[in-house]
Amino acid sequence: MTNNRMRWAGIACILAGVAATAAVMERPQQRRLCKRARQVHIETSRAFNRSSALLAGSVLADSAMEHYRGSFSNPVMYVPPLVATFSILAGLHGGADRHAQTHTVRHAIYWGAALTGLAGTGFHVYNVMKRPGGWNWNNLFYAAPMGAPTALLLSGALGAAAERLRNQPARAPRLLGMPAGRALGLLSGIGLAGTAAEAWLLHFRGSFQHKAMYAPVSIPPAASALLLHAALTSPQPRWLARVMLRMTWLVGWLGLAFHVRGVARHHGGWRNWSQNLFNGPPVPAPPSFAAMALAGLAALRLREREPR
Amino acid sequence: MSGDPQHEPRGKNGRAPDVLRVGGWMPMREYPQNEAVDFAIVGTGAGGGTLACRLAEKGFKVIAFDAGAWWRPLEEFASDESHQKKLFWTDERLCDGEDPIKLGNNNSGKAVGGSMVHFAMVSLRFRPEWFKSRSILGYGADWPIDWREMWRYYRIVENALKISGPVTYPWGPKRGRYPYRAHELNAAAMVLARGAEEMGIAWSPTPLSTLSAPRGLAHPCAYRGFCVSGCSTNAKQSTLNVWIPRAVKAGAEIRDLAMVGRVAVNEAGLCTGVDYFREGRWQFQRAKHVVVAGYAIETPRLLLLSANGRFPEGLANSSGLVGKNFMVQSNQAVWGLMDEEIRAYKGPPSLAITEHWNYADKGKDFFGGYAYMSQGPLPVVWTLTQTKRGLWGEALLKEMQHYNHQVGLKMVGETLPQERNCITLADEKDAYGLPIARVTHAYCDNDRRLIEHALDFMGKALDAGGAKDIWRETDDTCHLNGSARMGSDPRTSVVNADGRSWDIPNLWICDGSVFPTVGGVNPSLTIQAIACRTADRIGVLAARGEL
Ligand SMILES: Cc1cc2nc3c(=O)[nH]c(=O)nc-3n(C[C@H](O)[C@H](O)[C@H](O)COP(=O)(O)OP(=O)(O)OC[C@H]3O[C@@H](n4cnc5c(N)ncnc54)[C@H](O)[C@@H]3O)c2cc1C
Ligand code: SF4
Repeated sequence: MTNNRMRWAGIACILAGVAATAAVMERPQQRRLCKRARQVHIETSRAFNRSSALLAGSVLADSAMEHYRGSFSNPVMYVPPLVATFSILAGLHGGADRHAQTHTVRHAIYWGAALTGLAGTGFHVYNVMKRPGGWNWNNLFYAAPMGAPTALLLSGALGAAAERLRNQPARAPRLLGMPAGRALGLLSGIGLAGTAAEAWLLHFRGSFQHKAMYAPVSIPPAASALLLHAALTSPQPRWLARVMLRMTWLVGWLGLAFHVRGVARHHGGWRNWSQNLFNGPPVPAPPSFAAMALAGLAALRLREREPR
Repeated sequence: MSGDPQHEPRGKNGRAPDVLRVGGWMPMREYPQNEAVDFAIVGTGAGGGTLACRLAEKGFKVIAFDAGAWWRPLEEFASDESHQKKLFWTDERLCDGEDPIKLGNNNSGKAVGGSMVHFAMVSLRFRPEWFKSRSILGYGADWPIDWREMWRYYRIVENALKISGPVTYPWGPKRGRYPYRAHELNAAAMVLARGAEEMGIAWSPTPLSTLSAPRGLAHPCAYRGFCVSGCSTNAKQSTLNVWIPRAVKAGAEIRDLAMVGRVAVNEAGLCTGVDYFREGRWQFQRAKHVVVAGYAIETPRLLLLSANGRFPEGLANSSGLVGKNFMVQSNQAVWGLMDEEIRAYKGPPSLAITEHWNYADKGKDFFGGYAYMSQGPLPVVWTLTQTKRGLWGEALLKEMQHYNHQVGLKMVGETLPQERNCITLADEKDAYGLPIARVTHAYCDNDRRLIEHALDFMGKALDAGGAKDIWRETDDTCHLNGSARMGSDPRTSVVNADGRSWDIPNLWICDGSVFPTVGGVNPSLTIQAIACRTADRIGVLAARGEL
């Protein structure tokens, strides 16, 4: 193994993560200004751009690491990290963009990411099915993971939704033939449920050996259910959904800390990072909850203001 | 770190090594020699170590003796097969009979923790019918214990060791979920799986006693494959890092580098304690009860060595069965080559298993059953396997180049109990001046038919899995059992279901020697289950005043 290549990959991942985090941090000062001057649906779009970027950050780090581990044995394994990088850039750009208009390049990137995610899911399903035992637990645990490419699909979908929303009128914007708040609530609610499902699978694989491993399989599903409920019923303030979504955001970042600590519990700990990063819990995974929470909160804000 | 654990005892001065921390110590209770402790246990392996823990946790005063050293895996287990021979019982023994067995690394350990320190971690339950194999299946002998009771104790042991096993197990009655999930399969295990699917039989990830996720201070498995040379990460859950630390915490004393040479018996025919050799001299520990748990060779040897005027044929031997019905398990294999790289040594050696022929009764021309598993021999073991085959020089060199492509299936097969297979005392003496054990072994026709069936089937399965140049390794054995069987009749057994000897009420046996039959699975889970049961029974008897 070339240690150098590893190191560069590591540094690239970290930089991408930091950039994504910085981009999605909302600055309260700016926000108040925006609230007055801008329309809510643009704010929502920008939140979705940012959420998409954060999710793509997870995907970039994760796919770069896992495909490196798989020695990039198939050239298409380079595609997801590349596409995720573009998705991050698009998200950073869109997060700062206040124009009430779809950005063609970003929109195209998002579609690319979604399609890559879809194709990746297909590849991973094929990888599982061709192994002895096919659709069994061991393959679900250890063969190419289903959740990873779906995260890219989700990142693309969030971004594409953001772009399409920008083209909508400020008053009563619509997406997919329904009120935009409802559509985005459904999208982020389902995405959150999927993210929680993946965490459940992997934490089940880890036998829930630590109590904290129950957090991402209880709080986010509750948040998801409340969000879906808010999307499907008539619009009104939903404080409980908001609280649960904020807690989900917290779960994402605390999860990161727990996973960092989890790596340390492997033989040799962080001193042996070049092996334990791969053997330990995936460090880049938990922030995807923070990403989904951001999207969910933005969708909820929009939904709460939609006419009854 | 302190001193050489093979020359300087570590369990001393009120402390014991804490094997989960580098250089760590934990307080350990010590008992004076002239105080009769409740239980003196000889051997700290799967049987003795587990029993010491469970008895101490019930409040009994326990001392467990082991002839071997108290190792610190994190510091003292090297990734070096030759160096790790230090874990094996390599004291002199004589082997004879029609099919003499080879003793050493594949059979028995000498260390605090016993053979589990270097066992392969395969943790299987008996097939329920085997506990009544005479009455239900028509061979061997019945156990005096009901399978349902054993299944309860299996569960307890599986939880204690956090066995990593499949979500659903394909054979036998439904069992609760294993505490930890099964490990990822390596390429060698995939070959077994593919072969089994081609042959139309079930296969499964093997339930293993190594962690697939962290547990307290123990690290999860690092998949380096050194398991049978001792696990340096503490991922392997064994007597050494599970039962013994629990025992010490509960107030048991463990005396390492303490070889017991005799169980003392008084005029009344009761045990009074044990003579043991430690720190260069013979010493005596008084005890109200003595438990022998030295594994299937050393247990009968010690009982025979302890013969006296009152029991001239050895202790607990009124049936004449001490040392008799000694059983190995057949451990033959088929090997072949794959086109792609397999690197079978990555990860625990036996990641996939099929127990099909343990549970199927049709299509057999023999009694008993066998399981077979994927394999991951380390280089030295692999070289020896090749030289045994007659390869040397150029030919050996050439064969070894295929190391990364070799793949194999190895059986664990049942052999039938036979009185002629036995442990007796030889005239030669060991370093302590004690007569060494003579191990006499021969297969019976049934054993040979079973082995032939297995080799034939495994050969086909390996071929179906995609291997070529397939050849047979025809002469390996593993696991030693029997030699002091339990039963419900004093005339045909040495101990009762509780491991209590029929002849001497305060003499007990708790290890692999009490097996009336071996079944076709690795024995240590069963040994530990029996130890847990024995401890519970002792608790019950004590409460009733029947000890
Ligand atoms: C290489 C290898 C791989 C194995 N793999 C598996 C596996 O995958 N699954 C499985 O179930 N089983 C496996 N086994 C078998 C398993 O380890 C044994 O069956 C089990 O440990 C036996 O338990 P025991 O208590 O009878 O004896 P042991 O665990 O051997 O313990 C006996 C102890 O008693 C001590 N002793 C003996 N005589 C005296 C004396 N006179 N004074 C003081 N101390 C004494 C010895 O030093 C030893 O430490 C394996 C064994 C080996 C060698
Ligand atoms: S493969 Fe796992 S159990 Fe075996 S020695 Fe390595 S860490 Fe221990």
